[in-house]
Amino acid sequence: MTMLVTWNYRYRNSLIDHVDPRARLIFSFAVLIAATSTWNPLLLAIIFFISISWYASAKLSWQDTKRGWLMISILLFTMIVVNTILTGGGAGGVVPEGGQLVWPAGFNLFGRHMTFGLTVERLWFAIAQLMRILSISLVFIMIPYTMDSRAYGVTFRKLGLPDRLAYTMELSFRFIPTLARNFQVTLDAQRARGFEMDSLKGGVLNKIKRIAPLIIPVTMNAIVSSEDIANAMDLRGFGQQKRSWLYELKYHWWDYVVIGFSVVLLGAVLYLAYRHSMRLFLVPQWWYGLFN
Amino acid sequence: MYSNEVIKQEKKPLWRFGTKEVVYAAIGAALYAVVTWAFNVWQIPGAGNVGVRPAVVIPMFFGIAFGPIVGFITGFVGNILADLLSGYGFWVWWDIGNGIMGLIPGLFSVMLVDFKSLRSILLSEVSVVLGVLLGMGVAAFSEMWVSGADLNTVLVANFLPAFLTNVLWGLVLLPLLMVAYSAIVSQSGR
Repeated sequence: MTMLVTWNYRYRNSLIDHVDPRARLIFSFAVLIAATSTWNPLLLAIIFFISISWYASAKLSWQDTKRGWLMISILLFTMIVVNTILTGGGAGGVVPEGGQLVWPAGFNLFGRHMTFGLTVERLWFAIAQLMRILSISLVFIMIPYTMDSRAYGVTFRKLGLPDRLAYTMELSFRFIPTLARNFQVTLDAQRARGFEMDSLKGGVLNKIKRIAPLIIPVTMNAIVSSEDIANAMDLRGFGQQKRSWLYELKYHWWDYVVIGFSVVLLGAVLYLAYRHSMRLFLVPQWWYGLFN
Repeated sequence: MYSNEVIKQEKKPLWRFGTKEVVYAAIGAALYAVVTWAFNVWQIPGAGNVGVRPAVVIPMFFGIAFGPIVGFITGFVGNILADLLSGYGFWVWWDIGNGIMGLIPGLFSVMLVDFKSLRSILLSEVSVVLGVLLGMGVAAFSEMWVSGADLNTVLVANFLPAFLTNVLWGLVLLPLLMVAYSAIVSQSGR
């Protein structure tokens, strides 16, 4: 294991790179709330299309994001394939009991006659669920790759977080390379004493036993060094007046367009969902036609 | 001013967030991110969104040692940073859940005086169980709202794997960190 800590962000001169981080976060949360407010397939399809367009405008490659997508695939497989399609438990509470079977007379597999209780409604729910989870994933998975790590502290400050909390966030970004180096030094020192961390053999307790000699010195070293930093900050009058930030944010006209669009999207979805009964799950007639 | 500072420290105010707390929270968050990232190779097969994280003891310990705000920020910001480093995206409900895992032990911090005493260790173990229960509960059950998953799915795929592994790491590693910190405090006279 090598501790080369690198941020995933790099400037790609994409459309997203030119949008203010505050506007991007506002858009992302608008999509999150909109997508979770409805099971209506039409509304979910519109949100899904907007999310795909947003993601495409970031110019991210598969190589960049494959790790995050692997994690989301596991989540999708568990929730949709296993729980909604195979067992049906995942559709509980949203899809009404009963419904039209996809294979009412069963089917033949490897010469044996099989029956499978998958309903047309559950299959449609799986698609709606896929659109909802992917819409949210698309807008949130891209954040590490498209947002400069220097921008987080000031972004949260400008979004209303108190100065001290925003500065804590800023400071933690700056500590990461130092702590990663300290972690590596401690790991090397322990290895020189015969400590084996890379081995995956043994049960849970063995693993814990192997971790303790690493986590304890790393944590204690970090705490000891933080005293000096706090004293240095106090000497420089930290917290006595309003902070200024090295990385400055400035809204452009297109940022207002993104924020305005986010507000309209969220407002429209909430209005349709709660005022026009488009909140609940329903199956379109053409979908039934495919199975007749 | 100095004497006031000493009095405040002796009283151990629960919600204090001065310069030292800012640094402890920032260090804690960065440490949580680095250690989580380093152990990302250990994932639980078949458990959606959940990894094996010995680092979960860090927000718990920072909560116990420096109070609930430091504990919460360590977990909340640390989880954001860990996900950013790992390329997992930004999942605010899991970030809040991790924050709660540090916040609840932090609420117990006023009751703990000597970190080596059996009473303190037992109280901290209770705080671990409550913190993980509430934190992972909030994070996992938010998937019902976000993903539309049912109770069984959330329990089996999200809550139980996260709860069991985090409680185990917390119960075993937290007393060790408390005893080590106690030795540092007595050596340096903090």
